[in-house]
Amino acid sequence: MSALLAVNGVSKSYPGVRALDRVNLSLEAGEIHALVGENGAGKSSLIKILTGVIAPDEGEIVLGGAPMRFARPRESLAAGIAVVHQERNLIPRYSVAENMFLDRLPTRSGVVQHRQMQDDARRWLDVLELAVDPATPVRYLSVAQMQLVEIGRALSLQSKVLLLDEPTASITEHEVERLIGILRRLRDQGTAILFVSHKLEEVISLCDRITVLRDGQNTADARPLVGMSKDDIVTLMVGREAAVTELGERTATPGQCRLELSGVATAAGHEGIDLKVHAGEVVGLYGLVGAGRTELAKALLGAYPVTAGSVRVDGKPARIRNPLEALRRWRLGYVSEDRKGEGLILAHSVTRNTAITVWHRLRRAGGLIWGAIEKAYIRPLIERLDVRTPSLDQAVGNLSGGNQQKVSVAKWLAADTRILIIDEPTVGVDVRTKGYLHRLVWKLADEGTAVVLITSELAEMIQLADRIYVMNRYRVVGDIANSRDYDAMSGALMQIIQADNDRRVPPATAPENRGGKHV
Amino acid sequence: MSDVIEPRAGARAGAASWGDRLLRVAHAGGLLLVIVLITGGASLFVPNFLSPFNQFTLTRNLGVDIIIGFGMMVVLGLGHMNLALGAIGACAAMVVGFCLQTLGLPIPLAIAGAILAGALLGALNGVLVVRTGLDSFIITLATASLYFGLMFILTRAEAFRDLPADFSALGKGRVGPYSSFLVIAGVVAAGLVVIFNFSELGRQILATGANRTAASLSGIPVNRVIIVTHALSGAIAAIAGVMVTARLASALPSIGEEWLLPSFLAPLLGGTLLAGGFVSVIGAALGAILLSVLQNTLVLLNVSGFWIQFFLGLALLAAVGIDRWRVVQTQKRGTPGR
Amino acid sequence: MTSSPLLARLLRIEWLPLLAMAVAAIIVLALISSSFFSTYNLFVMLRILSVTSLVALSQMVTIAIGQMNLAVGAIGGLVAILFGAMLELYGVPIPLAVLAAVGVGLACGAINGWLIAWTRINGFIITLAMLSVFTGLNYGITKSIPFYNMPQALKSAYDSYLGPVPMILFIPVLAALGVGFILNFTRAGRHMLAMGGNPAAAELAGISISRTTIFTHVLSGGLAGLAGVVAVARLGTAEPTIGADWLLASFAAPVIGGAALAGGYVSVIGTMIAVVLVILLENGLLLARTNPFYVQFFLGALILLAVMFNQWRARRVAMRVTTRRVVSP
Repeated sequence: MSALLAVNGVSKSYPGVRALDRVNLSLEAGEIHALVGENGAGKSSLIKILTGVIAPDEGEIVLGGAPMRFARPRESLAAGIAVVHQERNLIPRYSVAENMFLDRLPTRSGVVQHRQMQDDARRWLDVLELAVDPATPVRYLSVAQMQLVEIGRALSLQSKVLLLDEPTASITEHEVERLIGILRRLRDQGTAILFVSHKLEEVISLCDRITVLRDGQNTADARPLVGMSKDDIVTLMVGREAAVTELGERTATPGQCRLELSGVATAAGHEGIDLKVHAGEVVGLYGLVGAGRTELAKALLGAYPVTAGSVRVDGKPARIRNPLEALRRWRLGYVSEDRKGEGLILAHSVTRNTAITVWHRLRRAGGLIWGAIEKAYIRPLIERLDVRTPSLDQAVGNLSGGNQQKVSVAKWLAADTRILIIDEPTVGVDVRTKGYLHRLVWKLADEGTAVVLITSELAEMIQLADRIYVMNRYRVVGDIANSRDYDAMSGALMQIIQADNDRRVPPATAPENRGGKHV
Repeated sequence: MSDVIEPRAGARAGAASWGDRLLRVAHAGGLLLVIVLITGGASLFVPNFLSPFNQFTLTRNLGVDIIIGFGMMVVLGLGHMNLALGAIGACAAMVVGFCLQTLGLPIPLAIAGAILAGALLGALNGVLVVRTGLDSFIITLATASLYFGLMFILTRAEAFRDLPADFSALGKGRVGPYSSFLVIAGVVAAGLVVIFNFSELGRQILATGANRTAASLSGIPVNRVIIVTHALSGAIAAIAGVMVTARLASALPSIGEEWLLPSFLAPLLGGTLLAGGFVSVIGAALGAILLSVLQNTLVLLNVSGFWIQFFLGLALLAAVGIDRWRVVQTQKRGTPGR
Repeated sequence: MTSSPLLARLLRIEWLPLLAMAVAAIIVLALISSSFFSTYNLFVMLRILSVTSLVALSQMVTIAIGQMNLAVGAIGGLVAILFGAMLELYGVPIPLAVLAAVGVGLACGAINGWLIAWTRINGFIITLAMLSVFTGLNYGITKSIPFYNMPQALKSAYDSYLGPVPMILFIPVLAALGVGFILNFTRAGRHMLAMGGNPAAAELAGISISRTTIFTHVLSGGLAGLAGVVAVARLGTAEPTIGADWLLASFAAPVIGGAALAGGYVSVIGTMIAVVLVILLENGLLLARTNPFYVQFFLGALILLAVMFNQWRARRVAMRVTTRRVVSP
């Protein structure tokens, strides 16, 4: 059997990270091939190489027997590779139809035929059963509709190779089923489909063969999926040693109540939020994507005004208008989920990124800050967190994901925060650092910090949290003690969310939001 | 959420790494080398280059150019621009003229008043940028027009020509064969080096410039930092305006009209990033020196003044082109497979 | 939702407030000055419009892709003197000279675009450098001396009428229609606005960023060149200073007209109304016999007010969208 699309020994490095290490992938006509791996395993890099966004350092791509070199996305498109990227890539003001046909706008004597394009788009939208007018600007669509538009675009290319990067992340169950039907039909017609997903159930039911990446290397190379279980795949993804919990037992000893929200409503749309976080406690905020967890954290930092209810820190009413007040006055810190966009200043050194929260304390005579004092202040922290960096002057952008995450936590430790909100702490972090960060969260709580943990990874939540608040649609809908029994807890959490959905939303009015599925 | 460092971030990320620091030193070194070569060549082959008069005028213009470059550099640290630099310089010139001629204030007070006025106008830019959330380009383009217009209206475009002799003497001061303006530039440079390397404000400016969201979430009062930085830029522009007034021995409303190009040229030649998050004080000074020496040499070589602007444009292109070439070379080395 | 639906709908027509302002300005001017509606005064304004509209459109197309062209005036000036030189020194026939001059503008734009696409350096710096290069060339060639002897035919063509309609009214109208057509109904134009709206997505969708950048700057250069030619016809001399004061107006009109400086959205109608508004402002101040320096002050103020208003409107629209999402998810 010869592969339609083959990736042979491809490597890609960034400063401080080896994103791909001699990776292989072979995709045959008429198969649905799964590509799985944890965040940071290199899936996105591989997709970017296949679509000409980035160039590999070594290795080759062979398409239909001919070696290929894609310098930019249009070359891979032209070669017959259609993609649905993980991030939405649409022009907000452009119509659905124009977004689908942007690279091949139909023209008659040079004049773009908007109507013809809309008719063409209609056909593909019908295939997906997406009931939107192709003339609607995409900025008025829901996230799910946007995702379907992108899938429609990829289908309309009728390519030999179809790459789908997390295509089901934000669409409803019904739409997923519809999509799966379409993909099966395309497979039978001879299309080669690469299906990247976190949802292993989907992978098992849909795909023929599987390629698994871990830390940039193949742990499975086009292995037939027949007979493989979910656990088998997880083991390939995270490695046997890491799949087992090694954190041990923890008994929380909650102290005084540090943070108390009662009946809080915010401009972001939260209503009636009640929650309490005590010193020495790890409190989880669990919910699906879009439940309003990160927004709640941002509201506590002043990004969205609190419109009703009260926020108390250490028993005192706190009106926090900005992160500066949160930090200086209430000693509340926030480790952002978006490390590169919000957490760190990639171009700046480890020193500056860590000391940023304490510069005011480092001023000496005449208001001057001496670099030596700055470094002396943060060095113990960097050593304590075991940040692997050649020097304190290294730009954090050059560190690996795990070390970056440590730096983005370190700056809050530098400032002795009493309340720390940690949002998705282990996204894009290698397995070893992940374990380290988990232990760190517990350690911080043991030292008296009130920790609020936001994570979409159920296993992580159940492993770490002492108590879990369940959020759904910008409300707290449940508050349960964590038994740390994965099966019981995951069932209980999903049940709370399901019950809330059933109670609140008549399905007909809100079709697009039902599917906020989680990984 | 991508799980790799974006290529662009990777390329930009080098700002403080050792390798990149070396590159920056090499950049400054390269600039210095070009300056030495041009100066050496001019000293040997251009007749009047070393004459005391030429050395004096060269360094006097240089002192002003360096400070104009600094005025732009500080806002570039934020990733902002200040197109109103020239307008603020003109306003400051008229304020110092008004204070000296009409009010008869003592010279130090008049200068302080001008610098204060510059800082206020700059702060107003900052406030507008913060309050509207608009691009500093369009805000300062509009305020440039506003400030120039206001100044013209208030002064009826009349110059202040009867300035005290002691004031115009400032423009004639010498240190050896050189103009004392170099000393002023040196003092401002030293102040900026302290700000950007040894102060909280400088760190806050660069953090805000490199990643405003991250800076804000880390407890940096980004709005205040933006306003203060624009005020600083205005104050520096005012210093340049006062210096030009002293040099001309009169406060003309046309001061500042020609500042746009040099204000960008000096810092950009010196390696300051347009995107924000990094400045090079020494680089900006070297950039200004290169410009002044180049300009001076061309004048002495009897190249028509009309062509000088042409060469300045080419110089800017060459500078950014070399920068680009360096990046491409680094990428090539990083990706042998291509 | 607190505001009335009518207000909301009117707010969405982005150029309507501008139009209202322009009409109000015309009424006020007609009331305070009897000479406002005089043929002479109207013609004066039309002459300014013939140049400024081209300048504004030239800048607007680069704003559409999220870039800027600081060299608009420099290209206009260079083209103007080359046009003058062709007519005065070499006696080139006028139509041919116009074509050649616009060709120079296109070429200047092509250089800008190619440099930006090739070096991937911020268009601001590249066009700042080219502003200097083109201006230097202009002054180097002319030594700052204008070409005075323009053929009479040029002047009379500029002042001629087609029936009752002055020829120069066609310039802004045709240019606006042309640019509007390109942006809405050609592949290149759609690619421009797509690139401005989301460069990464446009590239992933297979659009060539380099080609689009070059095309845009060629278009911008061509319009700037045309503006230079029209300016020569208007003044009757080819002065090297043509274009020196275009920068502010070139940004003022598109931005007042609602263009997003970040790219992806421009309004041809808005830009044209804004040009008219700016001309009315100047004309009003002139008729009111104010100090000419007031023009600059008020223009600056007008830009600030307009951008603040646009920002406020955008926020309102955005707020309405997000509220809707939260209320009925």
